[in-house]
Amino acid sequence: MPGRSTSRRALLRGALFGASAAALTPALAACGSVAGAVSSDADIQFWHLFSGADGALMQNMIADVEKRVPELRPRSTVLEWGAAYYTKLAMASAGGRAPDVAVMHVSRLAGYAPGGLLDPWDLDLLAEFGVARDELNPKVSALGRYDDKPFAIPLDTHPFVVFYDRDVMDKSGLLDSQGKLIPLENPENFLEAAAKLRKDTGKLGPVVGVFSDTAQAWRLFWGFYSQTGGPFDLSEKKPRVDEDKMAKVIDFIKKLTAPDCRTMDYPAAIAAFTTRRSPFVFSGEWESATYRGSGIDLGAAPLPTLFGRPATQADSHTFVLPHQDDPDPARRRGAHRLVAEILTSSLTWAKAGHVPAYLPVVESKAYAALDPQASYAPAADHPALDPQAWFTGSGSDFQARMCQALQSAINGSASTGSTVKKMLSEIDFFLSKPNPA
Amino acid sequence: MSTVPTGVRRTAAGRSRRTGPLFVAPFLVFFVLFLVVPLGWGLWMSFTDSSLTGRGDGAFAGLANYAEALTDAEMWSSLGNTAVFTVLSSVPLVVVALIMALLVHTGLPGQWLWRLAYFMPYLLPVAVVWQIWLMLFQPGQGPLNSMLGAVGLDGIGWLTDTKFAMWAVVLVTVWWTVGFNFLLYLAALQAVPDHLYEAAAIDGAGAWRRLWSITLPQLRRTTGLIAVLQVLASLKVFDQIYLLTRGGPDGSTRPVVEYIYDTGFTGYRLGYASAISYVFFAILIVLSIAQFRLFSRREA
Repeated sequence: MPGRSTSRRALLRGALFGASAAALTPALAACGSVAGAVSSDADIQFWHLFSGADGALMQNMIADVEKRVPELRPRSTVLEWGAAYYTKLAMASAGGRAPDVAVMHVSRLAGYAPGGLLDPWDLDLLAEFGVARDELNPKVSALGRYDDKPFAIPLDTHPFVVFYDRDVMDKSGLLDSQGKLIPLENPENFLEAAAKLRKDTGKLGPVVGVFSDTAQAWRLFWGFYSQTGGPFDLSEKKPRVDEDKMAKVIDFIKKLTAPDCRTMDYPAAIAAFTTRRSPFVFSGEWESATYRGSGIDLGAAPLPTLFGRPATQADSHTFVLPHQDDPDPARRRGAHRLVAEILTSSLTWAKAGHVPAYLPVVESKAYAALDPQASYAPAADHPALDPQAWFTGSGSDFQARMCQALQSAINGSASTGSTVKKMLSEIDFFLSKPNPA
Repeated sequence: MSTVPTGVRRTAAGRSRRTGPLFVAPFLVFFVLFLVVPLGWGLWMSFTDSSLTGRGDGAFAGLANYAEALTDAEMWSSLGNTAVFTVLSSVPLVVVALIMALLVHTGLPGQWLWRLAYFMPYLLPVAVVWQIWLMLFQPGQGPLNSMLGAVGLDGIGWLTDTKFAMWAVVLVTVWWTVGFNFLLYLAALQAVPDHLYEAAAIDGAGAWRRLWSITLPQLRRTTGLIAVLQVLASLKVFDQIYLLTRGGPDGSTRPVVEYIYDTGFTGYRLGYASAISYVFFAILIVLSIAQFRLFSRREA
C-alpha cells in the first residue's frame, strides 16, 4: 500500500526534524543566557558548604560585599557539607573546572595541598585589600600552611564547647561569682557535679547526642584525648597512640553518657537542652543560634579541662584557591578581594557562633559584647584539630568510622578494651591504603 | 502463497532494512555512550592505579588491584553483608508479596484500598522513606521504642546496635519495595483461568488443595521472575543503607556497593574501586546465569 508507506516516511522525516529542532532550541536559548545574566567571565565563582543559620549569614555577608564593591561579582554555590562536598571539590580541581575560591575545613588540607589540588594565596595581595598577615589567628593560619606556603586563609575557628542554663547551674553552685563555670579539674569531679545537678533538679544531667551523626562522638573523644597530651601520630605505617589514655577517655565518656543519654541522637540532645530537660549540653558552637532562640539564660564555656591541659576539638573554615591550570589574573585578584572583604566584616559571622580568625574583630568591643560567644572564644587558643593524615578531617570517612566504634562503647554493646582495639584496626585499615592525594 | 509481486516485496524489505536501524539508533547511541563505553573504561581503570584527584599517574598496575581486592578483609566483609542482606530481604519480599496478593485476591471487600495501601510505599522516593524510618527508629523516645516500652520491653538501638541494624534495614526495605512484587503476583493471580478452580471445586477440592495444586503451580513462572529480579535488586542495595546507617554500626550493614563508593569517591582510589566493581560484576553474572538455568529447567 503506497499510501501507508509514504505516510510512514513522512512521519519519520517529521520526527527527525522535530527532534533536531528540539535539540537546537535549548542550545540557542543557552547561548542567549550565557551572554546575559547567568554568569560572565568577571564573576567570581565561590563554593561553600554553609546552610541553615550560618548559610543565611554568609549570604548576607556576600550581599554586603556586592553592595560595597559593585565591580566584584561573587556567585556563590552552596553544596551540602560532608564527604560529598570534598569529593566534588577534588573532582572539580582535578577536572579543570574549579571554582575561583572555595571553603574548606583546614583539617582536610593534608588530603588536598600535597596533591596539587590547591593553589597558594598571595598574602601581599590580601594585605593590599586590607588584611595583613599578622591580623589572622596565628594558630589556624599556621595550620593552613603546607610546604611553607599559605594554602588556606582562615575565616574562623569552630570549637566543640559546652552550653549551660545559668539559672539552674547557679542554684546547684556550679557557677562562680562572675557566672562562669567553676573549674572541674578531673573526670571524677565532673561526674560528681553531674550527679549533684541531677539530684538538685530532678532532671537530666549533662547530655550529648552522638547517634545519627558522623562526627559528634569523635569530637567528644578527640577533645578529651587531646587534653591528656597523649600521642596520636598517623604519619607512619603503624599508628603511635597511647592506648591507656584512649581507654581512660572512653571510660569517662561511657560514665558521662550512661545515666541520661546512652542512646540519645544529635537532635534529641539539642531538644533536651532547649526544652529544659537538661541544663548542660556538649555541643558545637554552631548551634548557639538555636540555643539563644530558646529563651534560656545561656552560658557557654570551652570544653572543661578534665585530663590535664586545655584542649577542645575544633576545626576551622578556611578559604582555598582550587587549582586552576591557567588562572585569570583579574579573577584571582577578585578572589583575594572577596576573601579580604568577608574577613574584615566577620563580626556578622561571629553571630553564627563561630570565633572569627580575623583578630581585629575578636579584639573589638562589639565582639566582647556578644554573649555567649565571647565566653568560649578562648577555646580557639587550644584547638585540637584532627590528627594529620590524608584521610582525616571534617566530613571524612575516618571520623565516621571512629564514631561508629565509639557509639558501640556508649550504647553499652562494646567494652572499652574492644573499642580501643576497634579504633586501632580502623586506623590500620586507612594506613594500609596508599595515599591517593 | 503471497500475491504480492516479488519486485515490490524486495523494495519493501530493502526499505525496512534501512529504516529499522534508524529507529533503534537513538537507543543504540545511548547504550554505547552510557553503558558500553563506561564499562570498557571501568575495566581499563581496574588495571591502573588512577585516582579521582587526577594526581595518581594512572599508571598500568596489572593485576595488582585484583590481588589486593582478593585479600582485602573489608571487601569480603562487605560482600558478606550484601549476601546476608540479600537472603534476609529476598525471602520476605517474595513470601510477603505472595501472601498480600492472595489476601487481596481472595475477595476482601474494598479491594482498591488494599491495592493502594500495599503499593503506596513503593511510590515514595528513598529520601522520604529514610526520613520516616529515621523518626520511627529514633533511639530513646522514638515511636517504635515507645511501643516496646509500653509492653514492658527495653528500647532497641535499631540502627545503632550491631545486632539489630541489618534487621532494621531489611524491615525498611521490605516495607518500601514489597508493593511491586505484590502487583506482579496480583496480575498473575488474575490471569489464572477460572475454569481450573471450577473443575477442582466440582472434584471436591478444598481451599488449601486449590492453593497448593492450582494457584501456586500457576504462579511458578511469576515466582521465578520475581525471585530473579529480587535477588539482583537486593544484591545491588545501596541507597537506603547509605542513608539509614552509612554502613554502620561498625560496618555491620555496609554493602559492597557502598564499599565501592567509599573507596572510589571518598577514598579517591578509582582504579581499586573499579577492580572491586568488576569482582562484584562477575559474581552477579555467575549468579544470574545460575538462577536463569535453575528456573528454566523447572519450566521444562
